[in-house]
Amino acid sequence: MTETVVECQPGFILHHRRYRETSLILEVFTRDYGIISILAKGVRKAKSRTAGLLLPFKALSVSYCGKAELKTLTQVEAQPIHTDLTGLALYCGFYVNELIGRFCHKHDPHPEVYADYRDCLMQLTRVMRETENPAGFTPLLQVEAVLRLFELNLMQHIGLALLTEYDAHTEAPINTDAQYFFQAERGVIEHVAGTVSGKTIQAINDKVFTDTQALSEAKYIMRNVINFHLQGKPLKTRAILAKIYQQL
Amino acid sequence: MLNKGLLGQLIQTLCCLPGVGPKSAQRMAFYLLQRDRQGAQRLSNTLLTALEKIQHCQHCRTLTELTVCEICASSSRDQSLLCVVETPSDAWVVEQAAFFKGVYFILHGRLSPLDGIGPDELGLDLLEQRFATGSIKEIILATNSTVEGEATAYYISHLAKKYQLQASRIAQGVPIGGELEFIDSGTLSQAFMGRKNLD
Repeated sequence: MTETVVECQPGFILHHRRYRETSLILEVFTRDYGIISILAKGVRKAKSRTAGLLLPFKALSVSYCGKAELKTLTQVEAQPIHTDLTGLALYCGFYVNELIGRFCHKHDPHPEVYADYRDCLMQLTRVMRETENPAGFTPLLQVEAVLRLFELNLMQHIGLALLTEYDAHTEAPINTDAQYFFQAERGVIEHVAGTVSGKTIQAINDKVFTDTQALSEAKYIMRNVINFHLQGKPLKTRAILAKIYQQL
Repeated sequence: MLNKGLLGQLIQTLCCLPGVGPKSAQRMAFYLLQRDRQGAQRLSNTLLTALEKIQHCQHCRTLTELTVCEICASSSRDQSLLCVVETPSDAWVVEQAAFFKGVYFILHGRLSPLDGIGPDELGLDLLEQRFATGSIKEIILATNSTVEGEATAYYISHLAKKYQLQASRIAQGVPIGGELEFIDSGTLSQAFMGRKNLD
């Protein structure tokens, strides 16, 4: 294999784990190279200058090189994008990171997902900062709206877009006054006893969530879709976040 | 040839220590066997006794040979002030600095949803039970300044709020003797946000 040298690549750390005494192994979601495993040598020292940078949810510019699967970090700098997740948003950040880790594969670039991820983190930062909010949502609901939007965009960009444009049976456009059943593999089907309202389906198509009912139904739909595509492998963060929410 | 037999086994076993590779392990093994057999005897005896006797303290979960560790049992310590740390070595560092007069609680880890470590895996119900006894008035959250550490601190502070306990997070900022020029921007911004009034 030839030596790869990448300079100043925008990226976010999805996950880090300790390696030996002073090193870290990072899973970095880069803009142009997808998810890359990078070894950061000697950064867990008392006088380390990069330890404060090498944290998840920080916009970085990373340089790395290496021949093998595991690259070596050569330089890292912070990008002037302010993402600072606190409290509730921090837990959601873990969830988003797991979604990326599950749905985007290593070395598979997704610049649009990268842009969405960055926007998602910036919105999560803003939600926790702002005191007033336009739609009268609580921070929890605002966070939910940000997550749903990210999930929808993610599915679309990786080629697993939701089939919600038309009724799967009749191919009729979505009627906002009707009720629908939703199935991840088939799409939406109009039915009197349907569990999802036409308004929610329309909100999903428009990617705008303005009321709590649409949000809770969209959550149900997205959960359905994600579970379907993960083929029975549960998301680790979801179970834990559910427990944490119970307490908060 | 040397890799076989008891000597090889000893060298290999010594490699289980952190920061010890085959070469250092070899030096250690030869030193103990050639020059300091008594020391080796003491080492092996102490190691055996320590393994047998050292358990977790029932109150703070630190490593101790007693059922309740000296700090938790001490009457000179403020039992209403609780410092929450990630590992026994963190508690040890705070203890070495000798300014903290309260008691500890050791989490033995941090909340890390991506690794599947949640409140139950950390045994936070034990901490909650302690909150519920009413003996604690204030908690200091001294988890690491990583995202997982922050997530843990946030969660515990909410637990504390449920029991009307005062919870505080350790400050972040410029280290003593530190020059601003060499401080990363994240720490510097934290230092500015957490600035103090000079009286």
